[in-house]
Amino acid sequence: MTALAMALDAAFTLALLLVFSNVNRWLGPAPRHEGDGQLPYETGMPPIERAEGSMAVAYYRFAVLFVVFDVDLAFLLPWALSRPVFGAAAATAMSVFVGLLLLLLAYLWRKGVLECKR
Amino acid sequence: MSSFLPIEALAPQLALAAGVVAALLAGMLKERPRGLLRAVAVSALLAAALLAGASLPSAHPPLLRLDRIGLCWQELFCLGALPLAVLMEEDEIPVALLFGSVLGMGLLAAAGSFLTLFLGLELMSLPAYLLVSRGRREEEAREAGLKYFFAGSTAGALFLLGMTLYYAASRSLALAPASGPLAQAGLALMGAAALFKIGAVPLHFWLPDAYEAADPEVAGFLSTSMKAAGVLLLMRLAELAPSSALARVLPAFGVMTMLAGAFLALRQQRLQRLLAYSSISHAGFMILGVGAWAAQGATGAGAAAVYYYLIAYLFMSNGAFAFLKTSGLSTRAQLRGYAQREPRLAALLAALLLSLGGVPPTAGFLAKLLILWETVRCGLYGAALAGALAALVSLGYYLALIRDAYFEPAAGQPPPAALRRHSSGERLVLLACAIPSALLGFFPWLAGGLAGVLSGL
Repeated sequence: MTALAMALDAAFTLALLLVFSNVNRWLGPAPRHEGDGQLPYETGMPPIERAEGSMAVAYYRFAVLFVVFDVDLAFLLPWALSRPVFGAAAATAMSVFVGLLLLLLAYLWRKGVLECKR
Repeated sequence: MSSFLPIEALAPQLALAAGVVAALLAGMLKERPRGLLRAVAVSALLAAALLAGASLPSAHPPLLRLDRIGLCWQELFCLGALPLAVLMEEDEIPVALLFGSVLGMGLLAAAGSFLTLFLGLELMSLPAYLLVSRGRREEEAREAGLKYFFAGSTAGALFLLGMTLYYAASRSLALAPASGPLAQAGLALMGAAALFKIGAVPLHFWLPDAYEAADPEVAGFLSTSMKAAGVLLLMRLAELAPSSALARVLPAFGVMTMLAGAFLALRQQRLQRLLAYSSISHAGFMILGVGAWAAQGATGAGAAAVYYYLIAYLFMSNGAFAFLKTSGLSTRAQLRGYAQREPRLAALLAALLLSLGGVPPTAGFLAKLLILWETVRCGLYGAALAGALAALVSLGYYLALIRDAYFEPAAGQPPPAALRRHSSGERLVLLACAIPSALLGFFPWLAGGLAGVLSGL
Protein backbone atom coordinates (compact mmCIF):
# COMPACT_ATOMS: atom_id res chain seq x y z
CA MET A 1 0.00 0.00 0.00
CA THR A 2 2.75 2.42 1.00
CA ALA A 3 4.74 1.37 -2.07
CA LEU A 4 1.78 2.21 -4.28
CA ALA A 5 1.39 5.57 -2.57
CA MET A 6 5.07 6.31 -3.06
CA ALA A 7 4.93 5.34 -6.72
CA LEU A 8 1.88 7.54 -7.22
CA ASP A 9 3.61 10.37 -5.42
CA ALA A 10 6.69 10.03 -7.61
CA ALA A 11 4.60 9.92 -10.79
CA PHE A 12 2.58 12.93 -9.68
CA THR A 13 5.71 14.93 -8.84
CA LEU A 14 7.27 14.08 -12.18
CA ALA A 15 4.10 15.02 -14.06
CA LEU A 16 3.87 18.28 -12.14
CA LEU A 17 7.49 19.09 -12.93
CA LEU A 18 6.94 18.45 -16.62
CA VAL A 19 3.82 20.61 -16.62
CA PHE A 20 5.46 23.49 -14.78
CA SER A 21 8.52 23.54 -16.95
CA ASN A 22 6.52 23.42 -20.19
CA VAL A 23 3.24 25.18 -19.50
CA ASN A 24 4.65 28.48 -20.71
CA ARG A 25 5.59 26.97 -24.04
CA TRP A 26 2.24 25.27 -24.50
CA LEU A 27 -0.02 28.18 -23.61
CA GLY A 28 2.00 31.32 -24.31
CA PRO A 29 2.70 32.98 -27.62
CA ALA A 30 5.71 31.84 -29.62
CA PRO A 31 8.85 33.47 -28.13
CA ARG A 32 10.59 36.24 -30.03
CA HIS A 33 14.10 35.18 -30.86
CA GLU A 34 15.28 38.52 -32.21
CA GLY A 35 16.40 41.57 -30.24
CA ASP A 36 15.89 41.51 -26.48
CA GLY A 37 13.37 38.68 -26.68
CA GLN A 38 15.67 36.16 -25.01
CA LEU A 39 16.77 38.38 -22.12
CA PRO A 40 15.37 37.73 -18.64
CA TYR A 41 12.74 40.31 -17.71
CA GLU A 42 13.75 42.42 -14.76
CA THR A 43 12.55 46.00 -14.88
CA GLY A 44 11.80 46.52 -18.49
CA MET A 45 15.29 47.94 -19.03
CA PRO A 46 17.84 45.80 -20.83
CA PRO A 47 20.33 44.44 -18.21
CA ILE A 48 23.55 46.45 -17.90
CA GLU A 49 25.84 43.56 -16.98
CA ARG A 50 25.71 39.83 -16.36
CA ALA A 51 24.40 38.65 -13.01
CA GLU A 52 27.43 36.46 -12.27
CA GLY A 53 29.86 39.37 -12.35
CA SER A 54 32.23 39.90 -9.44
CA MET A 55 31.22 41.84 -6.33
CA ALA A 56 33.24 43.44 -3.54
CA VAL A 57 34.05 40.63 -1.12
CA ALA A 58 34.79 42.93 1.82
CA TYR A 59 31.15 43.36 2.71
CA TYR A 60 30.57 39.61 2.69
CA ARG A 61 32.77 39.17 5.76
CA PHE A 62 30.77 41.71 7.74
CA ALA A 63 27.60 39.91 6.76
CA VAL A 64 28.96 36.57 7.98
CA LEU A 65 30.17 38.14 11.22
CA PHE A 66 26.76 39.65 11.76
CA VAL A 67 25.13 36.27 11.30
CA VAL A 68 27.48 34.71 13.86
CA PHE A 69 26.50 37.21 16.54
CA ASP A 70 22.87 37.17 15.52
CA VAL A 71 22.71 33.41 16.06
CA ASP A 72 24.55 33.93 19.33
CA LEU A 73 21.66 36.08 20.50
CA ALA A 74 19.17 33.42 19.48
CA PHE A 75 20.89 31.14 22.01
CA LEU A 76 21.35 33.78 24.70
CA LEU A 77 17.72 34.84 24.90
CA PRO A 78 16.13 31.47 25.80
CA TRP A 79 19.09 30.80 28.09
CA ALA A 80 18.43 33.99 30.03
CA LEU A 81 14.78 33.07 30.43
CA SER A 82 15.40 29.47 31.49
CA ARG A 83 18.37 30.12 33.77
CA PRO A 84 16.46 29.41 37.00
CA VAL A 85 15.58 25.92 35.69
CA PHE A 86 19.00 24.71 34.61
CA GLY A 87 21.19 26.54 37.10
CA ALA A 88 24.96 26.31 37.22
CA ALA A 89 25.42 23.79 34.38
CA ALA A 90 23.70 26.12 31.92
CA ALA A 91 25.72 29.07 33.18
CA THR A 92 28.99 27.18 32.59
CA ALA A 93 27.94 25.99 29.15
CA MET A 94 26.87 29.44 28.06
CA SER A 95 30.00 31.13 29.38
CA VAL A 96 32.11 28.66 27.41
CA PHE A 97 30.05 29.36 24.31
CA VAL A 98 30.25 33.14 24.65
CA GLY A 99 33.93 32.89 25.55
CA LEU A 100 34.62 31.01 22.33
CA LEU A 101 32.75 33.63 20.31
CA LEU A 102 34.76 36.38 22.00
CA LEU A 103 37.95 34.52 21.14
CA LEU A 104 36.79 34.33 17.54
CA LEU A 105 36.14 38.07 17.54
CA ALA A 106 39.61 38.70 18.99
CA TYR A 107 41.14 36.49 16.29
CA LEU A 108 39.32 38.30 13.50
CA TRP A 109 40.25 41.67 14.99
CA ARG A 110 43.88 40.63 15.19
CA LYS A 111 43.83 39.46 11.57
CA GLY A 112 42.41 42.81 10.43
CA VAL A 113 39.07 41.54 9.23
CA LEU A 114 37.22 44.33 11.03
CA GLU A 115 39.03 47.06 9.15
CA CYS A 116 37.19 48.37 6.14
CA LYS A 117 39.55 48.18 3.19
CA ARG A 118 38.86 50.27 0.15
CA MET B 1 26.72 12.62 36.26
CA SER B 2 23.84 14.63 34.98
CA SER B 3 22.55 14.03 31.48
CA PHE B 4 22.99 17.71 30.66
CA LEU B 5 26.03 17.07 28.48
CA PRO B 6 27.79 13.70 28.37
CA ILE B 7 31.26 15.24 28.53
CA GLU B 8 33.00 11.91 29.09
CA ALA B 9 31.51 10.47 25.90
CA LEU B 10 32.85 13.31 23.81
CA ALA B 11 36.36 13.47 25.27
CA PRO B 12 38.21 12.94 21.94
CA GLN B 13 36.06 15.58 20.27
CA LEU B 14 36.70 18.01 23.12
CA ALA B 15 40.43 17.47 22.72
CA LEU B 16 40.13 18.38 19.05
CA ALA B 17 37.95 21.40 19.83
CA ALA B 18 40.57 22.55 22.31
CA GLY B 19 43.06 22.06 19.50
CA VAL B 20 41.08 24.44 17.28
CA VAL B 21 41.16 27.08 20.03
CA ALA B 22 44.88 26.52 20.59
CA ALA B 23 45.58 26.81 16.86
CA LEU B 24 43.67 30.10 16.62
CA LEU B 25 45.44 31.44 19.71
CA ALA B 26 48.80 30.46 18.21
CA GLY B 27 47.74 32.25 15.05
CA MET B 28 47.26 35.45 17.04
CA LEU B 29 50.85 35.47 18.33
CA LYS B 30 53.03 38.19 16.84
CA GLU B 31 56.13 36.03 16.59
CA ARG B 32 55.25 32.38 16.45
CA PRO B 33 57.97 29.86 17.30
CA ARG B 34 58.69 27.59 14.33
CA GLY B 35 56.91 24.28 14.59
CA LEU B 36 54.45 25.46 17.26
CA LEU B 37 51.39 24.83 15.10
CA ARG B 38 52.74 21.47 13.98
CA ALA B 39 53.21 20.49 17.64
CA VAL B 40 49.66 21.60 18.45
CA ALA B 41 48.28 19.65 15.48
CA VAL B 42 50.13 16.43 16.25
CA SER B 43 49.55 16.51 19.99
CA ALA B 44 45.80 17.21 19.73
CA LEU B 45 45.35 14.36 17.25
CA LEU B 46 47.38 11.98 19.41
CA ALA B 47 45.44 13.06 22.51
CA ALA B 48 42.14 12.44 20.72
CA ALA B 49 43.31 9.01 19.57
CA LEU B 50 44.41 8.09 23.10
CA LEU B 51 41.16 9.34 24.62
CA ALA B 52 39.17 7.32 22.08
CA GLY B 53 41.29 4.28 22.93
CA ALA B 54 40.68 4.77 26.64
CA SER B 55 36.91 5.25 26.30
CA LEU B 56 34.56 2.42 27.15
CA PRO B 57 31.43 1.51 25.22
CA SER B 58 28.41 3.25 26.69
CA ALA B 59 25.07 4.63 25.61
CA HIS B 60 23.96 8.22 26.12
CA PRO B 61 20.47 8.42 24.70
CA PRO B 62 19.15 10.08 22.71
CA LEU B 63 22.11 11.52 20.79
CA LEU B 64 25.24 9.50 21.50
CA ARG B 65 26.21 5.85 21.56
CA LEU B 66 29.76 4.62 21.93
CA ASP B 67 30.47 1.10 20.73
CA ARG B 68 33.65 -0.81 19.95
CA ILE B 69 33.40 -0.23 16.22
CA GLY B 70 32.89 3.51 16.64
CA LEU B 71 35.77 3.86 19.09
CA CYS B 72 38.17 1.85 16.91
CA TRP B 73 37.21 3.96 13.93
CA GLN B 74 37.77 7.17 15.92
CA GLU B 75 41.36 6.14 16.49
CA LEU B 76 41.69 5.42 12.79
CA PHE B 77 40.46 8.92 11.87
CA CYS B 78 43.03 10.58 14.14
CA LEU B 79 45.91 8.41 12.92
CA GLY B 80 44.94 8.92 9.27
CA ALA B 81 45.12 12.69 9.79
CA LEU B 82 48.59 12.62 11.41
CA PRO B 83 50.63 12.70 8.15
CA LEU B 84 48.67 15.76 7.02
CA ALA B 85 49.30 17.41 10.40
CA VAL B 86 53.05 16.88 9.96
CA LEU B 87 53.27 17.80 6.28
CA MET B 88 50.94 20.78 5.99
CA GLU B 89 52.06 24.37 5.80
CA GLU B 90 52.58 26.34 9.02
CA ASP B 91 49.29 28.18 9.13
CA GLU B 92 46.53 28.10 11.72
CA ILE B 93 43.64 27.92 9.26
CA PRO B 94 44.36 24.47 7.75
CA VAL B 95 45.13 23.11 11.22
CA ALA B 96 41.75 24.32 12.50
CA LEU B 97 40.05 22.94 9.38
CA LEU B 98 41.69 19.55 9.84
CA PHE B 99 40.60 19.39 13.48
CA GLY B 100 37.05 20.35 12.51
CA SER B 101 36.93 17.60 9.93
CA VAL B 102 38.26 14.92 12.27
CA LEU B 103 35.87 16.16 14.99
CA GLY B 104 32.97 15.62 12.59
CA MET B 105 34.16 12.11 11.83
CA GLY B 106 34.34 11.35 15.56
CA LEU B 107 30.81 12.66 16.01
CA LEU B 108 29.67 10.40 13.18
CA ALA B 109 31.31 7.44 14.89
CA ALA B 110 29.71 8.27 18.25
CA ALA B 111 26.26 8.95 16.82
CA GLY B 112 23.26 7.29 18.42
CA SER B 113 20.70 9.08 16.29
CA PHE B 114 20.34 10.22 12.73
CA LEU B 115 20.64 13.84 13.85
CA THR B 116 24.15 13.34 15.24
CA LEU B 117 25.02 11.23 12.22
CA PHE B 118 24.06 14.03 9.84
CA LEU B 119 25.78 16.65 11.97
CA GLY B 120 28.98 14.62 11.90
CA LEU B 121 28.69 14.03 8.16
CA GLU B 122 28.42 17.74 7.39
CA LEU B 123 31.02 18.79 9.95
CA MET B 124 33.59 16.43 8.48
CA SER B 125 32.82 17.47 4.88
CA LEU B 126 32.72 21.27 5.06
CA PRO B 127 36.36 21.75 6.18
CA ALA B 128 37.43 19.18 3.58
CA TYR B 129 36.04 21.33 0.74
CA LEU B 130 38.11 24.23 2.03
CA LEU B 131 41.21 22.11 2.47
CA VAL B 132 40.94 21.06 -1.19
CA SER B 133 40.30 24.64 -2.34
CA ARG B 134 43.45 25.85 -0.57
CA GLY B 135 45.72 23.75 -2.79
CA ARG B 136 49.00 25.22 -4.02
CA ARG B 137 47.95 25.24 -7.68
CA GLU B 138 45.31 27.86 -7.00
CA GLU B 139 43.14 27.89 -10.13
CA GLU B 140 42.75 24.14 -10.35
CA ALA B 141 42.31 23.81 -6.61
CA ARG B 142 39.47 26.30 -6.54
CA GLU B 143 37.69 24.59 -9.40
CA ALA B 144 38.13 21.17 -7.82
CA GLY B 145 37.02 22.49 -4.44
CA LEU B 146 33.82 23.77 -6.01
CA LYS B 147 33.18 20.44 -7.74
CA TYR B 148 33.84 18.61 -4.50
CA PHE B 149 31.51 20.99 -2.69
CA PHE B 150 28.66 20.39 -5.12
CA ALA B 151 29.13 16.62 -5.11
CA GLY B 152 29.31 16.62 -1.31
CA SER B 153 26.25 18.84 -0.94
CA THR B 154 24.32 16.51 -3.23
CA ALA B 155 25.31 13.65 -0.96
CA GLY B 156 24.20 15.67 2.07
CA ALA B 157 20.84 16.42 0.45
CA LEU B 158 20.36 12.75 -0.45
CA PHE B 159 21.14 11.78 3.13
CA LEU B 160 18.65 14.30 4.50
CA LEU B 161 15.93 13.10 2.15
CA GLY B 162 16.61 9.49 3.10
CA MET B 163 16.53 10.49 6.76
CA THR B 164 13.05 11.99 6.43
CA LEU B 165 11.74 8.88 4.67
CA TYR B 166 13.25 6.65 7.34
CA TYR B 167 11.77 8.87 10.03
CA ALA B 168 8.37 8.56 8.39
CA ALA B 169 8.67 4.78 8.70
CA SER B 170 10.13 4.47 12.18
CA ARG B 171 8.69 7.60 13.87
CA SER B 172 11.97 8.14 15.64
CA LEU B 173 15.40 9.53 14.87
CA ALA B 174 17.13 6.79 16.84
CA LEU B 175 19.42 4.42 14.95
CA ALA B 176 16.96 1.56 15.27
CA PRO B 177 15.72 -1.00 12.75
CA ALA B 178 12.57 -0.20 10.82
CA SER B 179 10.77 -2.07 8.08
CA GLY B 180 8.53 -1.27 5.15
CA PRO B 181 9.11 0.32 1.74
CA LEU B 182 9.57 3.81 3.21
CA ALA B 183 12.42 2.62 5.42
CA GLN B 184 13.93 0.74 2.48
CA ALA B 185 13.79 3.83 0.28
CA GLY B 186 15.25 5.95 3.07
CA LEU B 187 18.09 3.52 3.61
CA ALA B 188 18.79 3.40 -0.12
CA LEU B 189 19.06 7.18 -0.32
CA MET B 190 21.27 7.42 2.74
CA GLY B 191 23.38 4.57 1.36
CA ALA B 192 23.78 6.50 -1.88
CA ALA B 193 25.07 9.44 0.16
CA ALA B 194 27.62 7.21 1.88
CA LEU B 195 28.71 5.71 -1.46
CA PHE B 196 29.09 9.26 -2.79
CA LYS B 197 31.43 10.08 0.08
CA ILE B 198 33.48 6.93 -0.42
CA GLY B 199 33.65 7.55 -4.15
CA ALA B 200 31.96 4.36 -5.36
CA VAL B 201 31.41 3.95 -9.09
CA PRO B 202 29.16 5.42 -10.56
CA LEU B 203 29.21 8.18 -7.91
CA HIS B 204 32.97 8.72 -8.20
CA PHE B 205 33.19 11.41 -10.90
CA TRP B 206 34.18 14.20 -8.48
CA LEU B 207 36.96 12.22 -6.85
CA PRO B 208 39.83 12.27 -9.39
CA ASP B 209 39.48 16.02 -9.89
CA ALA B 210 39.42 16.73 -6.16
CA TYR B 211 42.35 14.44 -5.39
CA GLU B 212 44.45 15.72 -8.27
CA ALA B 213 44.04 19.43 -7.56
CA ALA B 214 44.41 19.12 -3.79
CA ASP B 215 47.84 19.13 -2.21
CA PRO B 216 49.13 15.54 -2.07
CA GLU B 217 49.05 15.39 1.71
CA VAL B 218 45.41 16.60 1.73
CA ALA B 219 44.55 13.94 -0.85
CA GLY B 220 46.17 11.39 1.45
CA PHE B 221 43.91 12.53 4.31
CA LEU B 222 40.82 12.39 2.09
CA SER B 223 41.65 8.91 0.86
CA THR B 224 42.20 7.49 4.35
CA SER B 225 40.31 9.17 7.19
CA MET B 226 37.52 10.50 4.99
CA LYS B 227 37.04 7.16 3.25
CA ALA B 228 37.07 5.35 6.59
CA ALA B 229 34.29 7.70 7.78
CA GLY B 230 32.23 6.92 4.66
CA VAL B 231 32.77 3.20 5.20
CA LEU B 232 31.65 3.52 8.82
CA LEU B 233 28.53 5.41 7.70
CA LEU B 234 27.79 2.60 5.25
CA MET B 235 28.24 0.03 8.02
CA ARG B 236 25.88 1.90 10.34
CA LEU B 237 23.23 1.89 7.63
CA ALA B 238 23.73 -1.75 6.67
CA GLU B 239 23.58 -2.68 10.35
CA LEU B 240 20.08 -1.22 10.63
CA ALA B 241 18.61 -3.68 8.15
CA PRO B 242 20.98 -6.53 7.16
CA SER B 243 18.40 -7.94 4.74
CA SER B 244 17.58 -4.61 3.11
CA ALA B 245 18.11 -3.97 -0.57
CA LEU B 246 20.96 -1.62 0.34
CA ALA B 247 22.92 -4.30 2.18
CA ARG B 248 22.35 -6.81 -0.61
CA VAL B 249 23.58 -4.59 -3.48
CA LEU B 250 26.77 -3.59 -1.65
CA PRO B 251 28.90 -6.45 -3.06
CA ALA B 252 27.79 -5.49 -6.59
CA PHE B 253 28.82 -1.87 -5.94
CA GLY B 254 32.11 -3.06 -4.53
CA VAL B 255 32.90 -5.18 -7.60
CA MET B 256 31.91 -2.40 -10.00
CA THR B 257 34.04 0.12 -8.10
CA MET B 258 37.18 -1.97 -7.82
CA LEU B 259 37.12 -3.02 -11.49
CA ALA B 260 36.32 0.45 -12.86
CA GLY B 261 38.96 2.07 -10.64
CA ALA B 262 41.62 -0.44 -11.67
CA PHE B 263 40.95 -0.16 -15.41
CA LEU B 264 40.71 3.65 -15.36
CA ALA B 265 43.98 3.96 -13.45
CA LEU B 266 45.84 2.01 -16.16
CA ARG B 267 45.78 4.91 -18.60
CA GLN B 268 46.69 7.76 -16.23
CA GLN B 269 49.89 9.71 -16.83
CA ARG B 270 49.67 12.10 -13.87
CA LEU B 271 50.72 10.39 -10.66
CA GLN B 272 48.24 12.06 -8.36
CA ARG B 273 45.34 11.21 -10.67
CA LEU B 274 46.60 7.65 -10.93
CA LEU B 275 46.59 7.36 -7.14
CA ALA B 276 43.08 8.85 -7.09
CA TYR B 277 41.79 6.12 -9.39
CA SER B 278 43.72 3.54 -7.39
CA SER B 279 41.95 4.83 -4.27
CA ILE B 280 38.63 4.24 -6.06
CA SER B 281 39.70 0.67 -6.71
CA HIS B 282 40.65 0.19 -3.07
CA ALA B 283 37.32 1.68 -2.00
CA GLY B 284 35.70 -1.13 -3.98
CA PHE B 285 37.40 -3.68 -1.72
CA MET B 286 36.20 -1.81 1.36
CA ILE B 287 32.61 -1.75 0.07
CA LEU B 288 32.79 -5.45 -0.77
CA GLY B 289 34.03 -6.06 2.77
CA VAL B 290 31.10 -4.11 4.23
CA GLY B 291 28.73 -6.13 2.04
CA ALA B 292 30.22 -9.41 3.26
CA TRP B 293 30.10 -8.14 6.85
CA ALA B 294 26.41 -7.32 6.51
CA ALA B 295 25.65 -10.62 4.78
CA GLN B 296 27.25 -12.51 7.69
CA GLY B 297 25.05 -10.69 10.18
CA ALA B 298 27.64 -8.14 11.37
CA THR B 299 30.22 -10.53 12.80
CA GLY B 300 33.44 -9.47 14.47
CA ALA B 301 35.53 -11.23 11.82
CA GLY B 302 33.83 -9.31 9.01
CA ALA B 303 34.32 -5.98 10.77
CA ALA B 304 37.95 -6.88 11.49
CA ALA B 305 38.60 -7.57 7.80
CA VAL B 306 37.26 -4.13 6.86
CA TYR B 307 39.18 -2.49 9.71
CA TYR B 308 42.41 -4.24 8.78
CA TYR B 309 41.97 -3.11 5.19
CA LEU B 310 41.46 0.47 6.35
CA ILE B 311 44.57 0.35 8.56
CA ALA B 312 46.70 -1.09 5.78
CA TYR B 313 45.35 1.44 3.30
CA LEU B 314 45.95 4.24 5.84
CA PHE B 315 49.68 3.54 5.71
CA MET B 316 49.89 2.76 1.99
CA SER B 317 47.88 5.69 0.70
CA ASN B 318 49.22 8.30 3.10
CA GLY B 319 52.70 7.04 2.27
CA ALA B 320 52.18 7.20 -1.48
CA PHE B 321 50.80 10.74 -1.34
CA ALA B 322 53.57 11.75 1.07
CA PHE B 323 56.04 10.45 -1.50
CA LEU B 324 54.51 12.72 -4.15
CA LYS B 325 54.86 15.67 -1.77
CA THR B 326 58.43 14.77 -0.80
CA SER B 327 59.70 14.00 -4.30
CA GLY B 328 57.90 16.84 -6.07
CA LEU B 329 57.13 14.59 -9.04
CA SER B 330 53.84 14.97 -10.85
CA THR B 331 53.91 12.83 -14.00
CA ARG B 332 54.98 9.30 -14.82
CA ALA B 333 57.57 10.57 -17.28
CA GLN B 334 59.35 12.40 -14.45
CA LEU B 335 59.56 9.16 -12.51
CA ARG B 336 61.93 7.62 -15.08
CA GLY B 337 65.37 6.94 -13.70
CA TYR B 338 64.32 8.09 -10.25
CA ALA B 339 66.06 5.17 -8.56
CA GLN B 340 69.46 6.40 -9.75
CA ARG B 341 68.82 9.90 -8.45
CA GLU B 342 67.22 9.04 -5.11
CA PRO B 343 67.79 5.37 -4.32
CA ARG B 344 66.46 5.53 -0.77
CA LEU B 345 63.22 7.33 -1.61
CA ALA B 346 62.73 5.02 -4.59
CA ALA B 347 63.04 1.98 -2.33
CA LEU B 348 60.36 3.37 -0.01
CA LEU B 349 58.15 4.07 -3.02
CA ALA B 350 58.64 0.51 -4.26
CA ALA B 351 57.63 -0.89 -0.86
CA LEU B 352 54.50 1.29 -0.83
CA LEU B 353 53.56 0.35 -4.39
CA LEU B 354 54.04 -3.37 -3.80
CA SER B 355 51.81 -3.09 -0.75
CA LEU B 356 49.19 -1.10 -2.69
CA GLY B 357 49.25 -3.76 -5.36
CA GLY B 358 48.77 -6.52 -2.80
CA VAL B 359 51.97 -8.47 -3.38
CA PRO B 360 52.66 -10.98 -0.61
CA PRO B 361 53.85 -10.64 2.13
CA THR B 362 52.95 -6.94 2.43
CA ALA B 363 50.08 -5.44 4.44
CA GLY B 364 48.11 -4.85 1.26
CA PHE B 365 48.20 -8.56 0.44
CA LEU B 366 46.86 -9.65 3.82
CA ALA B 367 44.19 -6.93 3.70
CA LYS B 368 42.91 -8.09 0.32
CA LEU B 369 43.11 -11.74 1.38
CA LEU B 370 41.00 -11.08 4.50
CA ILE B 371 38.31 -9.26 2.51
CA LEU B 372 38.16 -11.98 -0.15
CA TRP B 373 38.15 -14.68 2.54
CA GLU B 374 35.13 -13.13 4.25
CA THR B 375 33.46 -12.75 0.85
CA VAL B 376 33.94 -16.44 0.08
CA ARG B 377 32.71 -17.37 3.55
CA CYS B 378 29.32 -15.90 2.86
CA GLY B 379 29.08 -17.54 -0.54
CA LEU B 380 29.78 -14.60 -2.85
CA TYR B 381 32.15 -16.54 -5.11
CA GLY B 382 31.65 -14.33 -8.15
CA ALA B 383 32.49 -11.19 -6.17
CA ALA B 384 35.61 -12.82 -4.75
CA LEU B 385 36.73 -13.81 -8.25
CA ALA B 386 36.15 -10.27 -9.52
CA GLY B 387 38.17 -8.98 -6.55
CA ALA B 388 41.11 -11.18 -7.49
CA LEU B 389 40.84 -9.97 -11.09
CA ALA B 390 40.81 -6.32 -9.99
CA ALA B 391 43.89 -6.90 -7.84
CA LEU B 392 45.63 -8.43 -10.83
CA VAL B 393 44.74 -5.53 -13.12
CA SER B 394 45.88 -3.02 -10.52
CA LEU B 395 49.31 -4.69 -10.42
CA GLY B 396 49.59 -3.54 -14.04
CA TYR B 397 50.05 0.10 -13.05
CA TYR B 398 51.78 -0.32 -9.70
CA LEU B 399 54.47 -2.50 -11.23
CA ALA B 400 54.71 -0.16 -14.23
CA LEU B 401 55.56 2.68 -11.83
CA ILE B 402 58.31 0.57 -10.27
CA ARG B 403 59.61 -0.23 -13.77
CA ASP B 404 59.63 3.47 -14.61
CA ALA B 405 61.59 4.30 -11.49
CA TYR B 406 64.12 1.46 -11.70
CA PHE B 407 64.52 0.22 -15.26
CA GLU B 408 63.98 3.24 -17.50
CA PRO B 409 66.69 5.78 -18.29
CA ALA B 410 66.04 9.31 -17.04
CA ALA B 411 64.44 11.52 -19.67
CA GLY B 412 65.43 15.19 -19.50
CA GLN B 413 65.94 17.32 -16.44
CA PRO B 414 64.00 16.64 -13.23
CA PRO B 415 61.31 19.27 -12.48
CA PRO B 416 62.41 22.18 -10.26
CA ALA B 417 60.07 21.03 -7.47
CA ALA B 418 62.03 17.77 -7.29
CA LEU B 419 65.34 19.49 -6.58
CA ARG B 420 64.60 21.00 -3.19
CA ARG B 421 65.82 19.37 0.00
CA HIS B 422 63.48 17.04 1.85
CA SER B 423 62.53 18.07 5.37
CA SER B 424 62.96 15.71 8.28
CA GLY B 425 59.16 15.66 8.77
CA GLU B 426 58.68 14.40 5.23
CA ARG B 427 61.24 11.65 5.69
CA LEU B 428 59.70 10.67 9.02
CA VAL B 429 56.20 10.37 7.53
CA LEU B 430 57.47 8.35 4.57
CA LEU B 431 59.32 5.92 6.81
CA ALA B 432 56.43 5.67 9.27
CA CYS B 433 54.10 4.79 6.40
CA ALA B 434 56.33 2.57 4.27
CA ILE B 435 57.61 0.30 7.04
CA PRO B 436 54.17 -0.81 8.33
CA SER B 437 52.92 -1.12 4.73
CA ALA B 438 55.69 -3.58 4.00
CA LEU B 439 55.75 -5.46 7.30
CA LEU B 440 52.20 -5.47 8.69
CA GLY B 441 51.45 -8.51 6.55
CA PHE B 442 53.79 -10.60 8.71
CA PHE B 443 51.41 -10.26 11.64
CA PRO B 444 48.18 -11.97 10.61
CA TRP B 445 47.30 -12.57 14.25
CA LEU B 446 46.63 -8.83 14.51
CA ALA B 447 43.49 -9.40 12.45
CA GLY B 448 42.38 -12.15 14.81
CA GLY B 449 42.85 -9.85 17.79
CA LEU B 450 40.86 -7.15 16.01
CA ALA B 451 38.02 -9.61 15.42
CA GLY B 452 37.92 -10.30 19.15
CA VAL B 453 37.83 -6.60 20.00
CA LEU B 454 35.25 -5.72 17.38
CA SER B 455 32.87 -8.56 18.22
CA GLY B 456 32.72 -7.59 21.89
CA LEU B 457 30.00 -5.03 21.19
